[in-house]
Amino acid sequence: MLDKAFETLKTYDWGQDRKQLKPIDEAVVSSYGDAAARKDLEAKLAAVLTTDVTYDAKQFVCRQLMVIGKAASVPTLAGLLGDKEMSHMARYALERIEDAAAGKAMRDSLGGIGDELKVGVISSLGVRGEDDSVNTLKGLAGSGNAAVAKAAVAALGAIRSKAAATALASIKPTGDTKAAAADASLACAESLLKAGDKAGALATYKRLLTSDPSKQVKLAATRGMLACSK
Amino acid sequence: MGKQTPTRREFLKAAGATSAVMAAPIIIPSSALGDDNVDAASERIVMGGIGIGNMGRGDQNSFLNRRDVQYVAVCDVRGGVRNGAKGKVDGKYGNKDCAAYNDFRDLLAREDIDAVHIATPDHWHSIMVIEACRSGKDVYCQKPETRTLREGPLMVEAARRYARVVSGGSQRVRQDYNGIVNKCWSGELGDIKSINVNVGPLSQPCNLPVEECPADMDWDLWLGPAPWAPYNSKRCSGSYSTSGNSWRSYIDYSGGGMTDWGAHHFGGAIFAVDLREMQATDVLLKDENGKKYVELVYPNGQTVTHQKPGKGNLDVTGTPGEKRDPKPEPQYKGTGGIYGDFIECVKTREKPFRDIELAINTMSAPLLAMAAYKLQRSLKWDADKVAFVDDAEANRLVDRARREPWQL
Repeated sequence: MLDKAFETLKTYDWGQDRKQLKPIDEAVVSSYGDAAARKDLEAKLAAVLTTDVTYDAKQFVCRQLMVIGKAASVPTLAGLLGDKEMSHMARYALERIEDAAAGKAMRDSLGGIGDELKVGVISSLGVRGEDDSVNTLKGLAGSGNAAVAKAAVAALGAIRSKAAATALASIKPTGDTKAAAADASLACAESLLKAGDKAGALATYKRLLTSDPSKQVKLAATRGMLACSK
Repeated sequence: MGKQTPTRREFLKAAGATSAVMAAPIIIPSSALGDDNVDAASERIVMGGIGIGNMGRGDQNSFLNRRDVQYVAVCDVRGGVRNGAKGKVDGKYGNKDCAAYNDFRDLLAREDIDAVHIATPDHWHSIMVIEACRSGKDVYCQKPETRTLREGPLMVEAARRYARVVSGGSQRVRQDYNGIVNKCWSGELGDIKSINVNVGPLSQPCNLPVEECPADMDWDLWLGPAPWAPYNSKRCSGSYSTSGNSWRSYIDYSGGGMTDWGAHHFGGAIFAVDLREMQATDVLLKDENGKKYVELVYPNGQTVTHQKPGKGNLDVTGTPGEKRDPKPEPQYKGTGGIYGDFIECVKTREKPFRDIELAINTMSAPLLAMAAYKLQRSLKWDADKVAFVDDAEANRLVDRARREPWQL
């Protein structure tokens, strides 16, 4: 049944009966706790991505690797990050693979992909929340492409560690990036306060108040400072 | 004979000579001052609507017909729907002033808009609510308010950060389940041990065939953060079906009946047993005579079950022989149901009946159950960390990567 499902994948396309692939869904579930079976299934799935199957078949594979993919699948998935059609679905799996190799692969890809896809990779790095991405994101916050710069500061806000807060403090955002940087800084300040670092949070709020903030940010920072005083 | 009263012209001339401040009379329309049908302009909440399909039309009607709302803008990625929604507003006010946008960001950029209502497919809710909060807008967001477990806390965070009133949108919680709600809150059923919810199905993957996309549909924007897929009318239909004929059926946009009607049923159940302030810690997949069901265990020991064999929908297990004192039951504020509750809270800055935090806690129930069903095993959940405990595989399901350029 499983072999038949993999055979079906070779010609799978929009409009075909999704139930034909159900044995693969079931194998993903039933292989939990069986490292060897999982490894074998993962390898079979990742191999499909290097063949000439449809986007529909590949996106199915990426959804499965989102659940069971590990470091072994990272190179194959990372190889798709520069592909306009597949980049998002490659991230669909990579973003959720906890192995540090996934984050590294995404960072390494940034130098070789276009700005439009870069925005997606940056966003996924933010969601992963790794401090290892902070320096890369800090550099991209100064990008001449506004969408890239905005995504980078937002990603720092998603990471919201002390390192991310420090990085945001060193950035001089302009235009649309200013609002995103302010929101990211507020997120960092809240995180610092929650961790007991009142001094760090207060410094962030004070910096925001002197940065010609919007009305919303001014109010948020003022409330934040009040929270710091409790 | 006394001095004659100056004519209006003489008066104005004299006033103009002595005061630079005196202005010519300004014609003030009665609508600005308020009348029997509408509050004074300064008292009206200026609103816009995003997503004006089946539910959106209903929401639009509810807000548009309020005397304390001035409706100024609509947004929808379908040109025909957008124009129809604009036409309704223009017809109400007798002018052509309602703005019509394809992109919600253009509507949110308007500084004159105080509040928005959102009724797009579920996969868009978190991004739009968070952006609306960042833009200084209060938000009424249709249920289910969130599609993934990670999105919800970020929506609450944005609401609190920017001190926005954000209401979820289940009018049925107070409307359809009054009987059981009253019995629970009145103490008649004693100590509540458990309540059951029967709802489904779970959403499914979508592999519908390619169809030609209508010229007035911005398909890329309809998809937004969801994975790219070709247009199909059933994929994006807003019908209430969860059996394959609408977006509510499919995992990329919805949790299926589990979250669609589930927002109401779980909402009613969780409100009835007063569990809105917390999330479950244990998600137990159980098997009774070959029938699988989920039991959600809360920190206070109460449980919410999903499709427990032998139990009806909102079937409560209590200790009716041991009545306890009644608790004051939360009510809507203002007048006009859940819509009036939202508008009243926009004015008073109180938290609404279905405050976003309560909505997110409620929605965590079906979302956690769905994770257990997908993985076919029991799970442990840490709401503070927004993570399953020691379960890397389950944590993969907490969120999913968004299609560029969209991010939370």
